Amino acid sequence: MSSTLHPLTFWSIFTAMAFGVILSDSTISAFVALGGAAWIVYHFRGDGPWRNSFKWSLIAGVYLIAIRAVAGIVIGVPRVGETLFTLPRIQLPSWMPGIRIGGPVTWERLSFSIHEGLIIATVIALFGAANSVTSPRKLLRVMPAHTYQLAVTLTIATSVFPQLISSITRIRQAQYLRSGRRPRISQVAIPLLEESLGRAVALAESMESKGFGLSKAQSRYRPITYSHRDLFYILSGFIFAGVMVAL
Amino acid sequence: MIKFSRVSLIYPHSTTTVIEDLSFEISEGEMVLVMGHTGSGKSSLLRLVNGLVPHHTGGILAGEIVVDGRSTRTSKPGELAGIVGIVGQNPIATFVTDTVEEELAFGLEALNFPNDVMRKRVEEALDQVGLASLRNRDIATLSGGEQQRLAIAAALVMHPKVLVLDEPTSALDPVASEEILAILHRLVHDLSITVILAEHRLERVIGYVDRILLIEGDGSTAFGTPEEILKKSELVPPIVRLTRALNLEEIGTSTRDVRRITEQLRSELRDSERPLHVAGKVLVAAKNISVNYGEHQALKEISLDLHASEITALMGRNGAGKSSLIKALVGLIEPKSGSIEIDGVNLSQLKQSERSNRIGYIPQEPGDLLYLTSVSDECDRADKDNKLPTGATFELLHAMLPSISGDSHPRDLSEGERLTLVLALVLSGSPEILILDEPTRGLDYSAKNRLMALLHNRARERGTAVFIATHDVEIVAEVADRTIFLADGEKVADGTTLDVLLASPAFAPQVAKVMSPRRWLTVSDVLRSQELDQ
Repeated sequence: MSSTLHPLTFWSIFTAMAFGVILSDSTISAFVALGGAAWIVYHFRGDGPWRNSFKWSLIAGVYLIAIRAVAGIVIGVPRVGETLFTLPRIQLPSWMPGIRIGGPVTWERLSFSIHEGLIIATVIALFGAANSVTSPRKLLRVMPAHTYQLAVTLTIATSVFPQLISSITRIRQAQYLRSGRRPRISQVAIPLLEESLGRAVALAESMESKGFGLSKAQSRYRPITYSHRDLFYILSGFIFAGVMVAL
Repeated sequence: MIKFSRVSLIYPHSTTTVIEDLSFEISEGEMVLVMGHTGSGKSSLLRLVNGLVPHHTGGILAGEIVVDGRSTRTSKPGELAGIVGIVGQNPIATFVTDTVEEELAFGLEALNFPNDVMRKRVEEALDQVGLASLRNRDIATLSGGEQQRLAIAAALVMHPKVLVLDEPTSALDPVASEEILAILHRLVHDLSITVILAEHRLERVIGYVDRILLIEGDGSTAFGTPEEILKKSELVPPIVRLTRALNLEEIGTSTRDVRRITEQLRSELRDSERPLHVAGKVLVAAKNISVNYGEHQALKEISLDLHASEITALMGRNGAGKSSLIKALVGLIEPKSGSIEIDGVNLSQLKQSERSNRIGYIPQEPGDLLYLTSVSDECDRADKDNKLPTGATFELLHAMLPSISGDSHPRDLSEGERLTLVLALVLSGSPEILILDEPTRGLDYSAKNRLMALLHNRARERGTAVFIATHDVEIVAEVADRTIFLADGEKVADGTTLDVLLASPAFAPQVAKVMSPRRWLTVSDVLRSQELDQ
């Protein structure tokens, strides 16, 4: 495993790649970006609780493409082209004009849906990749002190989130054992909301008691430094974005 | 060091004062215990010391609080960071970073300490709490005791003169809790740090504290040495109950003192038997169950029987496999091997609705089961779920806790009241088996007594098989007929509570330590022997 890069480097690369993919709007750029992200994650993945976010974002992306494709087949706007098959059209009431369900499915229509899904999935995967290589809390540590309010909000949000998932599981299980039925959303949401609020307040109190945000300047323990390697990676990210947009 | 002069506190939107006209003074290097019933304002009092109340929470503060010469009225909590270190009730919720070292550096970074100072302070704090070997660990992977030690270290890096802790041992097993108290004791004696802590389990802390601040339910307070306060207080640890029950002149706060006072008694009294109980048929039979999480083997070939009319306690250190065993018994996890039978039927063949009817389960956070807006709504729902006449559950609740009002919001109840509500909801279905996961966290003695009476009544009158996983040695000594002890996923002891608790000094209740080598666990055991003589 190579030594890691500066957290801002990772975020700049992945942001640049995401912009490149969105602006160029091409399938090839999406695949190149995914390949690049996979390579970076493979080399720089940490061992924190976030390490698998790239994997999970890829899985989420596959579902997203599938849903987008199905939606494209069923509801999509008509596109001229080679007809693959025809679905029965459902007649909608007159107060729903401009929406059609069913009808002929063309190759163009299907590929357009999948392409659109792929672009969105790629952007999500790039975000997941960034989380895999550097924890959001690391990013927080390199933020300047005058972003105090933003930093507090981000810290609370990012630390409550992983906890949220284990709390949901715990509350669902407790309710399930009581009634023998799967609980409704409100049954889980209310205890969950109270717990998350309590945690958020406790964390904010703890940060305040430790004097966070009081001093304009902040020192760094084991400071994370920029190196030439950081520069190289950031430049590659921007060149990728530039080339994709230019093509 | 700390001076409260005529302090009163009222929260916004509230009509009652939390603290009224409180004055006291704590000098350097004292260890002070704040005790009182749940909801008596202990947490508010602790957070007044560094100004979190009212700067962070809002509220109106009258009077003056001065800490090391600075008024909390004009200083914000952050400005007092170098004077007061605060350790919250639930350490994991207060950590800001991902790893041990980063967490320790966090406060120093925020106050712009130079790097070489930070390095020294972090090393020092790691050594003070014995976490040096875990410096690069991810905080999420630490055990409960290690997290508590980290929270203390994170306060110590600021070189505070005062350390404030809210229930530092409530989530810990007896061994881990001893470690925490030993650390605090050393800080007080070697570094003259002033320590203020709130704790319900007096038996754990009473031997360490110099003075006690007692907050009574009616808002009146008393401040004095442990002997002075405990002579009059209704909240007392088991050893004080012992000296009171024996009508002794003196009271002692340490095992050593009370052993001295009771020396004659120990040699004179005859042996007595704990009252026998007749265990019913086997309701839960687990045979050789093993549970794995990936590579980690959480339970290794555990067999146990739970009988009707019997209370069985499950003990062991944090991480010994208690939760896994409970999850397996209620059917949340499928054991890798072995079988679990409920009244002769394999658990996996029972539908979840049948399991829910037969097994009542009280989770570690009772609030997980509550989502309606009033106590009576929750009770009505339980009536509907269990097809009972309207009002039946509320009646049950009312019998357990007469003071409760149907209109109160479940969130406004105290810890103990909430547990009682959840117990009523679960018990309204008349389950044959009742399983409780760590029910005594945050309960004061009166709530605990209520719980014990209830469990005893269910087991003896209704024939329920009660299974209770807990760190609380005293409750086990009082109610459990049988105790099972787990260590590292293996069953290391299974026998009568008397035999199991006396076999391990760390898990022995206070009365047993005082009366050793005699075989008595509780005050009533000793009294029973005394009656034999009369």
